[in-house]
Amino acid sequence: MTYSFQFRDVFTAWEFLLDGLILTLELSLVTMVVGLLIGLAGAAGRVYGPSWIRRPVAVYVETIRNTPLIVQLFLIFFGLPSAGIKFDADTAAFIALAINLGAYSIEIIRAGLEAIPRSQIEAGQSLGLSGLQVFRHVIVFPALKLIYPALASQFVLLMLATSVVSQISAQDLFHMASIIQSRTFRDFEVYILVAAAYLALAMIFRLLFAGLYQLVFARR
Amino acid sequence: MSLVELSDVVKRYGTHTVLNGVSLNVEKGEIIAIIGRSGSGKSTLLRCVNGLEPIQGGTVTFDGTVVNDPATDLRKLRQHVGIVFQSFNLFPHLSVEKNITLAPKVVKHVPTAEARQLAEAVLRKVGLAEKIDAYPDQLSGGQQQRVAIARSLAMQPVVMLFDEITSALDPELVGEVLKVLEEMARDGMTMMLVTHEIGFARKVANRVVFMHEGRIWEQGPAAATLAQPRTPELETFLSAVLH
Amino acid sequence: MIRELSFIDVLYLIAATRWTLALTAIAFVGGGLVGLTIALLRVSAVAPLRWLGTVYVLVVQGTPLLAWLFVFFFGLSIFGFTVSPWIAAAASYSIYAGAFLGEIWRGCLQAIPRTQWEAGASLGLGLAQQLRYIIVPQALRLAIPPTVGFLVQLIKNTSLAAVIGFIELTREGQLTTATTFRPFTVYLIVAAIYFALCFPLTQVARRLERRLHVAR
Repeated sequence: MTYSFQFRDVFTAWEFLLDGLILTLELSLVTMVVGLLIGLAGAAGRVYGPSWIRRPVAVYVETIRNTPLIVQLFLIFFGLPSAGIKFDADTAAFIALAINLGAYSIEIIRAGLEAIPRSQIEAGQSLGLSGLQVFRHVIVFPALKLIYPALASQFVLLMLATSVVSQISAQDLFHMASIIQSRTFRDFEVYILVAAAYLALAMIFRLLFAGLYQLVFARR
Repeated sequence: MSLVELSDVVKRYGTHTVLNGVSLNVEKGEIIAIIGRSGSGKSTLLRCVNGLEPIQGGTVTFDGTVVNDPATDLRKLRQHVGIVFQSFNLFPHLSVEKNITLAPKVVKHVPTAEARQLAEAVLRKVGLAEKIDAYPDQLSGGQQQRVAIARSLAMQPVVMLFDEITSALDPELVGEVLKVLEEMARDGMTMMLVTHEIGFARKVANRVVFMHEGRIWEQGPAAATLAQPRTPELETFLSAVLH
Repeated sequence: MIRELSFIDVLYLIAATRWTLALTAIAFVGGGLVGLTIALLRVSAVAPLRWLGTVYVLVVQGTPLLAWLFVFFFGLSIFGFTVSPWIAAAASYSIYAGAFLGEIWRGCLQAIPRTQWEAGASLGLGLAQQLRYIIVPQALRLAIPPTVGFLVQLIKNTSLAAVIGFIELTREGQLTTATTFRPFTVYLIVAAIYFALCFPLTQVARRLERRLHVAR
């Protein structure tokens, strides 16, 4: 074997990697925020809403959770144009990821809402609080605290899954790996390095989430 | 017109009839103790008064308003009817102060400073003024229950409902809670208690209501009825409870 | 040359599903072996072994599946191997599934109370015997619902193998789109087929979970 590793070639392309990293971070963070909002609204609708809200939400959740993300992405980016709706790669990526994460978040948050004992709700109602007030002051905080680890895990998984947008040529971190590879032909080094970058990101995200938990939910 | 009127109330869970035509009037300032075996419908009866349980027959009226009417604004009604539960039901993520001030601030728009003073006042009434910044998991059962009472009192209700509030407490913590109730009685609060504490009922209640098989089996002045039950069922119940 | 989308194309798509299932099966078997190893490592009394298992899980769960696919398919060819999509996919998915199954099964093993192990030991059973007769049967029961749930994830994840040219349902969808120029219809059909595969399994997992909780 006469191969010698040449990581230096990959390192000198660091600007590409940075650009890709920025998009990956943007995709991840925006999707997390939107996904959380969809999750809260959808879960509340699913648990407390009338059947004309519960059923569509259930259909949405089951459809997304039983089909692959890449197919959802292709449908939005390649498929919708034939119906007249055209998105650029970045926008399609945001939409697909948000819709995907939203469905998983609904399921996770729903479990949290259902875990709040009925007696808590009755106590709030008996004090004269409206349904919305009971939700906001009595239910949300304990429910989120309960499912925080599961949700944080899902968010980290999402950050890793953003790599799939490289397949519609969105210029994320993973796509940059292909670009660098095509310039340096250092396949092995590039992909190992990019994998390590994702690993570092995952570790950082996990630490940040743990810290956030301490800040918001742990009582000092 | 009585403060609370239950007229021929019927309540079913599926095929099981829990309340089988219950009629009861409660006047302002009266203290009613409701006793009976498990499953006799006593808690359900209480929960009908503030609309926590929908009924299938009869009417429940509070201060002239029909509680079981779908058009009634239960939220407004519940500001005047306080209820304390067997399992305290304090909000674990809120401090004692926040537990107490939540409803006044959010429902009655009491400003924060005034709300804190209100909290201090009701906590003094239940003897827990120093615990205002504590959290529920730092309190004993008896303390949590007293905070629950304070929380209901903060809304300045006209009637207080107590659903077996000492049943979940260790015996040595029961006394401190009953003391608070005695004081409230002395202050003239209208109270409906579902309780197993027969001694307390005899001492503090005006009237005792004995429920059996979903009906009011016997009722009368507290001391007299408990000393001389007229029906065999009440006699059996008392001898079982007071063994 | 553009061809009209016809029923034959739908049949080809359905036929391609068998490769999706084949890859899922390989991933499950390969991942199962790895996962079992990881689970045992993680509950081992020997600290370095535990550490090994933990690092493996952390690394695999912290990297995208795509990265593994690319490293094996494109990266390894540097060393002079021609790595077929099959080998690359089988290796990547086994590594990937191994980490997740290992975590699931570790959780099930650890859910068995310490007292069960102790009961076995005090009856004179050795460690392997405790595992075989007492712990694993109970852990197995616990493990079935989440494992079935992960099977659903695996089926969906095989769609990524398309990017290294592995012929399965999604790749077939890409090829069909390229010849018929009907991406919306094609990918809708592809999604429907995945749904038909995954949804029943999801329901089975749910039912098993419910029955498990009722039984306890």
